[in-house]
Amino acid sequence: MPNPTYILRYFPLVGLSEACRLLLTAANVEWTEEHPEWPQEKPNQPHGRLPVLVEKNPDGSPDFIITESCNIERYLARVYGFVPADPKQAARQEQICELMADVFSYLSGYIRASSDESKQMFLGKFEALLETLIEVQTKLIEGNGNNGRQFGDSLSYADMVAYGFYKKLMIAMARFDANVPKFVKSKLTPKITQLIATVEADPLLEKHTSKAGSLAAAVSV
Amino acid sequence: MTYVLRYFDGIGIAEALRLLLTAAGAEWTEEHPEWPLEKHNQPHGRMPVLIEKSGNGSVDFVICESGCIERYLSRKYGFLPADLKQAAHQEQLRDLIHDVNYALAGRITCKCEKDKEESNAKFKVLLDKVIDEQSRLIKDNGSTGRMFGEQLSYADIASYGFYKNLIQSAAQVLPDVADIVKHKLTPEVIKLISTVEADPLVKKHTSKGESLSAMATA
Repeated sequence: MPNPTYILRYFPLVGLSEACRLLLTAANVEWTEEHPEWPQEKPNQPHGRLPVLVEKNPDGSPDFIITESCNIERYLARVYGFVPADPKQAARQEQICELMADVFSYLSGYIRASSDESKQMFLGKFEALLETLIEVQTKLIEGNGNNGRQFGDSLSYADMVAYGFYKKLMIAMARFDANVPKFVKSKLTPKITQLIATVEADPLLEKHTSKAGSLAAAVSV
Repeated sequence: MTYVLRYFDGIGIAEALRLLLTAAGAEWTEEHPEWPLEKHNQPHGRMPVLIEKSGNGSVDFVICESGCIERYLSRKYGFLPADLKQAAHQEQLRDLIHDVNYALAGRITCKCEKDKEESNAKFKVLLDKVIDEQSRLIKDNGSTGRMFGEQLSYADIASYGFYKNLIQSAAQVLPDVADIVKHKLTPEVIKLISTVEADPLVKKHTSKGESLSAMATA
């Protein structure tokens, strides 16, 4: 039975979908991207938001449709084996991914806020939680044998989410506020830089990471 | 095996965890660490944290991040199906709920009226979406007051915890929130709340304090 094929519905941006794109690429499944007219297509999405993942099965069963970026990432990671079946090991990966999502939420708040005081509030929270994240990730990599990976010895769900996360901060956010990449870069540890380079160089991701700018280059210059 | 749930002494985002531990029939206690003194003793400097101990009391496993803990317990005790597609439909609702809570928090943390109002607007839009989705799921599932299947599910539990936090806890800091929520509740969601509250698996916990079901319909 051939694999399902996928459609990822999102905006033509790095945004919240980079890890989904990496997971689809690493899974080696056929997938395409749709950029729905927005906001016209809002009512046609399960939660009125993007991204949405449509899974088309060759057996003719109805399309399977899910939404919410972290949910899509976890689904693909589980189906294609990028997170272990062992619930404790899976939870260890999920918890760092959830932390990354919260760090990004503060950054989104900072970008969207109107007043300087609100912006400062969000920025403070973003910076503090980012520092916690980097500390935790650095320890994970060190505890994992310094192989440039947070878990195990092959490309994992958490590593792909991390790459997507740093790409958002270093490349996507640059157009809103050049200080964000500057700040992030100043906080990166050599272990994180190594993590980024390791993911970028993974043969499973070659098809995707060879397009557009190199994140590894952006963090090391 | 026993569990320790570390959180603040309040409903917050831990209610789903309390309900899951109760529904699982697990032996569990709660710790309220001195805060922020104990911040650096937590894996991510935040709470909730779940500590799983083996029979002899030694610590087997520590995890954090509310959604992660919820899914871990739900999978372990069968409140999330093993089928990944079915699980994903429950998890996506909870992810949306997380964003509602985040928007509401903006009303408290933002410093100017304009940002507070935008947070409130976003809170209402996302809350409408949650209620629409829950109502549709309940109707499609035979209007039994459950969103998935015939038994208490993770999504049911997470939803109950969500409404409890809004109506009983958030309303203490933002007095208009209880009314906003109550006016939006559909008959389906009201039935969901009362069905969860009455479920024998969680009654031990839901019968403490004021009835959410009564408050939701007052």
